[in-house]
Amino acid sequence: MMRVNLTLKPMGSWSIPIEAESIIPANFLSGTDLTVWRGNRELGLEEAFSVSVVGGADRAEDVEIVLAGKTARLKRVGEYMDAGKITVLGDIGMHCGNFMTGGTIEIQGNADGWLGREMGGGSIICRGNAADYCASGYRGGRKGMTGGRVEVYGRVGDFLAENLAGGTVIVHGDAGDMPGAEMRGGTLIIHGDCTRPAANMKDGACYVYGTARWMLPTFRNLGTVRHEGRTLIQFTGDVANRGKGNLFVGNYEYLD
Amino acid sequence: MNVKDAVCPFCGCLCDDIEVEIEGDRLVGVTNACELGATKFLGGERLKSPIRREGKAWKEISYDEAIRYAADMLLDAERPLLYGWSGTHGEAQCVGVHMAELVRGVIDNTSSVCHGPSVLAIQEVGHPGCTLGVVKNRADLLIYWGSNPIDAHPRHLSRYTCYAEGFFLENAFRDRKVVVVDVRKTQTANIADEFVRVRPGGDYAILSALRTIVRGKTDTIPRMVAGVTRDQLIRVADLCLNAKFGAVYFGLGLTMIPGKYKNIRNAIELVTELNRHTKFTISAMRGHYNVYGSNEVNTWMTGYPFAIDFSRGIAFYNPGETTAVDVLARKECDAALIVGSDPAAHFPRRCIEHLAEIPVVQLDPYPNATTAFCKVQIPVAVTGVDAEGTAYRMDGVPIRTRKVLSSDYLSDEEVLSRMYALMQEALKR
Repeated sequence: MMRVNLTLKPMGSWSIPIEAESIIPANFLSGTDLTVWRGNRELGLEEAFSVSVVGGADRAEDVEIVLAGKTARLKRVGEYMDAGKITVLGDIGMHCGNFMTGGTIEIQGNADGWLGREMGGGSIICRGNAADYCASGYRGGRKGMTGGRVEVYGRVGDFLAENLAGGTVIVHGDAGDMPGAEMRGGTLIIHGDCTRPAANMKDGACYVYGTARWMLPTFRNLGTVRHEGRTLIQFTGDVANRGKGNLFVGNYEYLD
Repeated sequence: MNVKDAVCPFCGCLCDDIEVEIEGDRLVGVTNACELGATKFLGGERLKSPIRREGKAWKEISYDEAIRYAADMLLDAERPLLYGWSGTHGEAQCVGVHMAELVRGVIDNTSSVCHGPSVLAIQEVGHPGCTLGVVKNRADLLIYWGSNPIDAHPRHLSRYTCYAEGFFLENAFRDRKVVVVDVRKTQTANIADEFVRVRPGGDYAILSALRTIVRGKTDTIPRMVAGVTRDQLIRVADLCLNAKFGAVYFGLGLTMIPGKYKNIRNAIELVTELNRHTKFTISAMRGHYNVYGSNEVNTWMTGYPFAIDFSRGIAFYNPGETTAVDVLARKECDAALIVGSDPAAHFPRRCIEHLAEIPVVQLDPYPNATTAFCKVQIPVAVTGVDAEGTAYRMDGVPIRTRKVLSSDYLSDEEVLSRMYALMQEALKR
């Protein structure tokens, strides 16, 4: 096992974000001669982080990266990651786990926007809250997340799992506006409340155990069903979009 | 002296039938323009020369000094923001994009706080649009959704829609039906054949309901949707289906409400659905006279219409992250160049607070709210008055604005070109 400890150094008064797509387990198999970007300046990994490596590994599965310091503005960590583990002790910046296909990312704090954008496999666990576009796609793209699993223990922002096409997204708290918008596959589970779930959905399954506020009028009510010890109301739609998806809600309120 | 066929540099209508009266070096009269346009032509008290903040006072400096300051500021920055661009001509916008790429900054225009969501929706589902001329000559149904042209685009109705002659309509004024959808009874709602009053935030539900009714699935819709009865929605759907040619014009009442671009996407998908039955188009009521041009220039030069981050040397686009409001609110830039807009008058407080902390240079003919946050302001000629250049009308038609007056002011393009030349020189060394 190899354990890489990265502690972000204080970066002065500005909060120019650092883009660190080089921080994935596979890259540390060949040493720590990596670079990150602060704005338009390229920095060596050791200019931005205090680096210590314990143990060794010859495959990415055996590498764990532990990120410490004020990492809330650290973007693109774990992008294209395919194996191994990244643990973030605090908060993490935007685009954490973009396009990842394998391995695990665990965030002890909060995650900023686009957590697990367009991910295809692996798993992300966020112990705090996640911001907007968690487990979503990219602007104008037709498919968002296609596989893997994202689990958030706190709340999430708007447009959760937009364009969801595969995989599982679980949120233990509330979600914001329009979770599961345009979804065409996969499973989205929200334990709390949200507004306008599954807008314009084509296919897939969306569960809201709490209350769906501003429920869209274009879903057809199919009656109640039992699901894991809960009684939920099943809808199908979005009829406006010729959709055949399933939306299950604990309660719902129309904006009438 | 009178100048005919001047182009009004105020709103996206870009009216090109304005007559202005010139006496010596002053513009004294404007005919044909609306009140907004006339005020823009007649102007106000302009800055005489570039100014630099020194302690609590302003000091007049030369153009050379001001341009040098701006060039150095942008070269020193790790993530400069170049914002505005909608109030200037296309040629200046081109130089701006080159500059952003050279200094590896973030370039964004005012569409990120107006019709940016429309652009995002168009990227998702396309744009079934057409020019204003087609609507003028053919449309027999007009839908103004979340827009109030009588106040914001006063000549839109008389030049292109309700009150305009139509080549393919026998009695255009009587034949055209008007639907207005808004949260309050606006001036435009007063002339509507059908006024749909939506509860704030309910537009998405209304659009979905209309799509469903047009599909013939009316039984799914509850009796009341966001403050509108199902019967009224059926009436509106019938008006749309019975029209020979319908045109939807939407404004910020649809782009800047919860759901943002999803509302526009839904409106576009309604239009797509209606096109299975009749001819329908949809377009945005663009605000600044050349905000459309700014999107065009950015797109042909970088591939993206706004919010472009060059910090890694390639163009990266992600509204919500690389848009000016987000960059400023998150304090993610360390210098700002503002051209042809007034962010301090329109941005949230947190953004302005960051503007106050970083060096800011503004190009603008007049002192405005952003002046209070500038280190340096450089007065420039007003495009369409004492400078000429290309602008794009709200329907994407490029129109060359005219110079109707001579002055000693440099145009945006001249100032920016000199700034760009200094930067190129500095980077060669």
